[in-house]
Parts: sequence; C-alpha cells; structure tokens
Amino acid sequence: MAAIELNGVTKRFEDDDGVFETLQLSSTPSVTAVNDLSFSVAEGEVFGFLGPNGAGKSTTINMLLDFVRPTEGTIRVLGHDAQAESVAVRRRTGVLPEGYDVYDRLTGREHVEFAIQSKEADDDPDELLSRVGLDPEDAGRRAGGYSKGMTQRLALAMALAGSPDLLILDEPSSGLDPAGAREMREIVRAEAERGATVFFSSHVLGQVEAVCDRVGIMRNGELIAEDSIRGLRSRIGTDSVLRLDVDGNADLAAVRNVEGVSSVDADGERLAVSCTDDAKTSVIEAIEASGATVADFETDTASLEDIFIAYTEGGKTTEETEVSA
Amino acid sequence: MTVESVARKDFRDALRSRWLIGLTLFFALLIGGSTALFYGVLLKGAGANSETLFGLTTAPGGLFSFSYAGMLGFVLALIALVTAHGSLIDERESGTIKLLLSLPNSRRDVVFGKLVGRTLVVLVSMLVGFVIAMFAMLFLGGQVMFASYAGQVALSGLLATSFVSIGIWLSATSTSQRQALFGTFGLYFIFAVLWSTVATGVPRVVNWAMDQLGLGTLSMTQVIEMRLFIKYLNPLRAYETLVAELYGPAVAARLFKASLGERLTIKGVFEESLPFYFNGWFILAILLAWIVVPPILGYLSFRKADL
Repeated sequence: MAAIELNGVTKRFEDDDGVFETLQLSSTPSVTAVNDLSFSVAEGEVFGFLGPNGAGKSTTINMLLDFVRPTEGTIRVLGHDAQAESVAVRRRTGVLPEGYDVYDRLTGREHVEFAIQSKEADDDPDELLSRVGLDPEDAGRRAGGYSKGMTQRLALAMALAGSPDLLILDEPSSGLDPAGAREMREIVRAEAERGATVFFSSHVLGQVEAVCDRVGIMRNGELIAEDSIRGLRSRIGTDSVLRLDVDGNADLAAVRNVEGVSSVDADGERLAVSCTDDAKTSVIEAIEASGATVADFETDTASLEDIFIAYTEGGKTTEETEVSA
Repeated sequence: MTVESVARKDFRDALRSRWLIGLTLFFALLIGGSTALFYGVLLKGAGANSETLFGLTTAPGGLFSFSYAGMLGFVLALIALVTAHGSLIDERESGTIKLLLSLPNSRRDVVFGKLVGRTLVVLVSMLVGFVIAMFAMLFLGGQVMFASYAGQVALSGLLATSFVSIGIWLSATSTSQRQALFGTFGLYFIFAVLWSTVATGVPRVVNWAMDQLGLGTLSMTQVIEMRLFIKYLNPLRAYETLVAELYGPAVAARLFKASLGERLTIKGVFEESLPFYFNGWFILAILLAWIVVPPILGYLSFRKADL
C-alpha cells in the first residue's frame, strides 16, 4: 500500500469568501497553486519534494494534512481519505508544518507533552527534546522566546511524538544552521530505519541528496520530474564535464564521435567535454591519438544543484524530459 | 485528541496570560464591590435582602431608571465577546492553529474546545464575583434569598455563555483579526444599542407593506406583540426579562422597561392569557438557542475554510 497517493489533484485559490468579503465588490482572480498532480510515495520510502518557492509544495502538503482542500482530485494518506478521515491520518503522522507558530506562553516541554497527550502516546518528553537537541534549560522556558532554530527543533520533537508511521516535514531545515541541518538529516535517516515513511520538502538540494530514496520536482504547480537521484542524473544525460588543457591541435570531430560524449566546446587550447563517467578515458585517448597532448585535466561532476536548476529554470534539458508519474 | 484537551490547553493559556486573573479581579470589584457599596453604604442597616439590589429596577429614590441585571448584562456580553472573538482567528493568523491541527485534533474539537475553554474563563471569573457579593451581603447584614440569587447567577452564566458562543462564531467565520474585531463591536452595538430601533421599525415596515398590498393594518396589540417578540430575540433583553421574572410575575417581567403606552394596551391582554411565545420557558429557549446555534454555524464555516 502506498503511504501517500495523489490522484489528479488540483487546487485553485478563489477570492476569499468570508462573511465580510462577500459584501465587498472587489474580487481577486483565482490562482492555481497545484495543477492535476498525481504521484505516490511507497511505505518506508524517504521522498524529497523539491521545487523553488511558490512551486506548490506547501499547498500540496497542506492538502495532505487537510489544512486546505483540493478543488479536484483525491488524496489518500496511510490508506485514509485525507479529507474525510484527516484525524485518523494525523493520529499516525508526525508533522512539521510550514508557516506555523508556537504557543508563546507554553514551555517547550509543555508543547511536547501536549503532542504526546494528543497522540495518546507514552513517550518521555525529555527524551524527545534531547533527541532534537533542545537542552533541558531551554525546554523549561516559554517557547515565545525561542529563536527560529529552536522553534524548528521543538516542532520536530512534537512531530516525532508517538513514533509516527509517516513524517511530513515542510522545509525542515529552514532556520537551522548547518550543524542543525545535519542533525535533522540524521533524524530523518534514523526514522526511516525505524520503518517510517518520510515525506519532506525543500528548496535546498543539499538537504535532499544525502537522504532521499526518491525525489519529485515541482514547478508552477506541476510535478515535472519524479525519480531517484541517480535516475535524475542519468536523465539529464551528462554526468561530468571534463576540462582539458591541450598542447597542439586536437581533432574535435574525433572527440565528438567518442561514445558517451554529448558536447565539446573549444576555447583556444582549453576543451570542455561533456560526457558520461565511462567515456573520460576514451576522450583523452582520442585527443592523444589525434596528435595533441593533454597537459592537464579536471572533472566536474554535475551536481544535483545543476540538475535542479536545469529542471526548475527550464533549460533545454527540461523541455526534452517527459514527466513520469 | 478531544474537545477536552483543547479546552484544557486554552484555559491554561488564559491562566498564563493573566486574562483569567484580570477578569476575576474585574468581576470581584464590579459585582462584589457594587454589592458591598450598596449594602454597606447606601442601605446600611436597613435590613435589606439580596432582592433589594439584584431585583432593582430603579435607582433608590426613583431618580432614574436603572436595572442591575441590565447593567450586568451589558458588561457580561462585552467581556464575553472580548474573551472569545480572537479564539480561532488569532491562532489562524499566528499559525499556531497549524500546530494544533497537525496533531490528531479535528476542527470540531478545536471550535468546541475553544467554546468550552473561553466559557469557563468567563464563568469562573463571574462566579467569583457573585460569591464575593454573597459574602459581602452576609457580612453586611443583608439577607440572601438563595432561590432568586441562584437563579440570577445561573441566568447570568447563560447570558455570558451565549455571548461567548457569538464570539466563537465570529472568530470561526472571520478571515482576519480585523474582521473579527469589527464584527464583534458591530454586533455588540446592534444588540446593545440598535435593537430597540429594529424592534420598533420592523412592525412599522410590516404595517406599511400590508397597507400597500391592501391587506389592512395590524392592530395596536399586534404591533406591540411583534415589537416585544423581536425585543426578546435579543439575548440581552431575554436575560433581563428572565431575571425580572425571578423577582415578580411573568406579565410584569415581560413588560419590564416597556413604555406607558405599551403597558396600557397589552397588560390586560397578557393578564388574561400570556401567549406561549412570551412564556418564560420560551424566552429561556431563545437564550439557549443563542448558546447552541452560533458555534454550530461557526463550525460549519470553519470546517470548510482553507487555513
């Protein structure tokens, strides 16, 4: 069974329809935040939900949690309808929402106790708090005085209460320093090892690369790619850029003919060859065979960041990539 | 988890914010203080009982019209609205609602938990005021008529609860704090000030419309009955007349604060047979409806809202 399953989900935000707004004659045009979105996340999977700000990630997550309702389509989470059976979903889900705030007057520990009570769990609040790196002194203080990073740790502790089957984390690393972000990843990994499904969003690739089994990339309310990190890499087609300083005239046509080479750019005696990892040796051999010598070379591995930018900013590779769902 | 856990957290929050303490002090001074002043200074040693003040309808000496229940009703309604109007919208605007709804709480739990929490805050502080007033009377030699006093406390509790309900409704329906605030003051103004204009205006409009349609006009009795009926749809007026019934006959209570003309026309009719919709139980049902209906409407709107 899939932990999360979306089917043709669309969310349009119409203008507000509060009692008072209906009296006003102004109307704002509706905005389509999510458009015909379908994908699923398997049980036990760590799924990274990527995309630039405003791509529809949070709206999607808010629909999983029934904070907002889809205009069209169906959503099932842990086998329950996300709208009709939202409480059942949230009983087994730990959530780190986006755009939340803590109760200023309750202490950190009271927040965690409230989460434990609500989930009818029997965790030790101090254990959860130390797990997310909130020291006991801070845990006893009112959360109103917390920094963004401490608030984020507190919310994560609340999410972990009751050993949920599913963790939904919306931009979990925001507000955390690099060390905090690393601890966050370690917690995600530990939860996945325990058997939990983890669904988390990020606009920072580095957070995702190390922990995700699979990623989905959102742009303008649509899922434009869904694959493993390796799959995404290979789909971009170019794994590495080989930069070479060449003495003499290399036969560029011969280099282009090497299997696995996708492009060759020459700038005087400097060549930049985009190719797969396996093709590197053949490229150097082809250059030397044409009578030139390779004085020096270096390899740039295409980072996930490059892939991400290629997808989300609509480079030529994006146009060629079919969306798989 | 449940209505109860939301209510408990909300109540604790009111404790922390000192709102509960502040309200308690306020009611101690208002109810307890006014009682102490009345029995200790104004009616010192006159052998008064609790009905002398709480059943009071004119100031001692008859200088101006004053009803204790009327005064208390205005204050309770305002306090209840102020206490409740932010309950949901504040959490929505700050984002704490997302934390609350990330946990297994349903939106119903949140609305009704808030209702229970805020109602308790108002009731507890109000009760402290009434208990202090009771001891003040006993201490100052006034006799406490327990039946009517308990009735007064209970009705005051119902009135306060109805305005907490109305506040919850506003809070659940609003999409911004500004809206909830304007709605609160607007509604308070309608109930406290505008209502008599409505009660007088509606029969006139009906009369005019019937005349235009050639259906004849309403009799004087019908006009006054309609006016009184609309008057008692207002929880503040329902409360006032129900309190008056604790201290006197039902007909007099229904004609409480009525004009001389109204009295002359309708008193005889009412004494012969009081229509069921002016019966005390019916008026009480109206007050109870103000407790039950608004939070349900609020929930129905909040249930559909995108947070």
